[in-house]
Amino acid sequence: MAMDIETIVKTAIANQKMIDVDSIALETSLQDLGVTSLDAITIVYEVEEICDIEVPNDELESLRSVQDIVAGVHSLLNKKAGA
Amino acid sequence: MNDRVVITGLGSVSALGLNTDQFWSSVKEGRSGILPLTGFDNAGLKINLGAQVRAFDPTVHFFSKDVPLLDRYSQFALVACREAIDQAGLAAASLGGAAAVIGTGCGGKETDEATYDHLYRQQKTRAHPFTIPKGMPSAAASQVSMQLSIAGPVFTVSSACSSANHAIAQAALLIRAGVVDVAIAGGTDAPFTYGLLKAWEALRVVSSDNCRPFSADRSGLVLGEGAGMVVLESERHAKGRGASILVRLAGSGMSADAGHITDPSAEGAARAIQAALKDAGLNSQDVDYVNAHGTGTMANDRTETEALHRVFGSDVKSLMVSSTKSMHGHALGASGGLEFVATVLALCEGVIPPTINFTRPGEGCDLDYVPNTAREKDIHVAISNSFAFGGLNAVQVLQAV
Repeated sequence: MAMDIETIVKTAIANQKMIDVDSIALETSLQDLGVTSLDAITIVYEVEEICDIEVPNDELESLRSVQDIVAGVHSLLNKKAGA
Repeated sequence: MNDRVVITGLGSVSALGLNTDQFWSSVKEGRSGILPLTGFDNAGLKINLGAQVRAFDPTVHFFSKDVPLLDRYSQFALVACREAIDQAGLAAASLGGAAAVIGTGCGGKETDEATYDHLYRQQKTRAHPFTIPKGMPSAAASQVSMQLSIAGPVFTVSSACSSANHAIAQAALLIRAGVVDVAIAGGTDAPFTYGLLKAWEALRVVSSDNCRPFSADRSGLVLGEGAGMVVLESERHAKGRGASILVRLAGSGMSADAGHITDPSAEGAARAIQAALKDAGLNSQDVDYVNAHGTGTMANDRTETEALHRVFGSDVKSLMVSSTKSMHGHALGASGGLEFVATVLALCEGVIPPTINFTRPGEGCDLDYVPNTAREKDIHVAISNSFAFGGLNAVQVLQAV
């Protein structure tokens, strides 16, 4: 599942920014990718739709890198699985 | 203060073509853009006709990164504005202080309805984040500003079918007040969406056979889509930069019926025409041609004819009156823009657009509607009427230069 989520997140970023998915690394900062706040909520929307999770607004504030999104999705999926 | 406002650029997207050359050749030839409705197969619609913009590929006109945020109504607005600014010969760098006043009756319905479909029909739980920035009624105005670097007063005017004429009037007033020297204004709409078509169907004013303004066998309006935009400038600014002036916008008149939400009033329409002529400092005898609102509904065409009688009295018989909606359909908030473009070109080229599909005069429709064939005639003054649902009226007076 780890790889899948990483792929889902990178694909959502690649689609939104119209860039090659291979150009995105886990440690890449969202700022370097030129991710605006509208991009960020759109990327999160795509991931929410695919993973069937709900990302709280306050968690969006703390997203700095691709890894942050992947980790956040993992955490939400784990919470959901435990619930 | 600037007393005189002139027109230096025209842009259009319509069922008659993706630019003004195509639009005007169709109008002169009396060619209709009304065809069987496409894109709604098996949707259970009674509406079966439309003046739809065909062969419009957004990727030809926009960067792929911009397309996802552009509703169809914004796309039309941008293409028409670019054409008008190109014709005016205004460099992007000179538009920093310009105004953009964009009329729309509907806003980004395609975007709104896609989200509603997603939520209501597909039972999804979240809306796409672009829904508001792409679909809001001011999205087209914002995109025009962003993509054309227009950084002065930019806003949307919405008055249903009069939106474009009200927008052009606001732009002219901004110039006359000395707020700006240059403005782009007009209207845009893309109303071919399932929910909106169903809503129009419910009003029982849409024809299922054709649009025949002022004709005895008229059976209602046919919806259209597109955008019509014009560049307005103070005469001083246009002359100062050696621009080619197409016509003078001699005056604008606005009125409200303060009556019924759908039934038009001859008295209200007449007051808008009178206000426009007064603003222009012209008499009714000066007017050669009226580009009518002419929707093809029973109510509009009879009422508009009565309004012209009230204003022009016995001179009404020498007026030429035509409805180009018989060709480009009723493009709602864009209609006044397209009709303004047609009226400018009628003055420039001495060709009066016809009212096509005309068979015989309807009851109470006793004017010269320039039936079926364009007429070559040099004219000096023309007016363009827009009378919206809800009794919101706006009329322009254009004068040859």
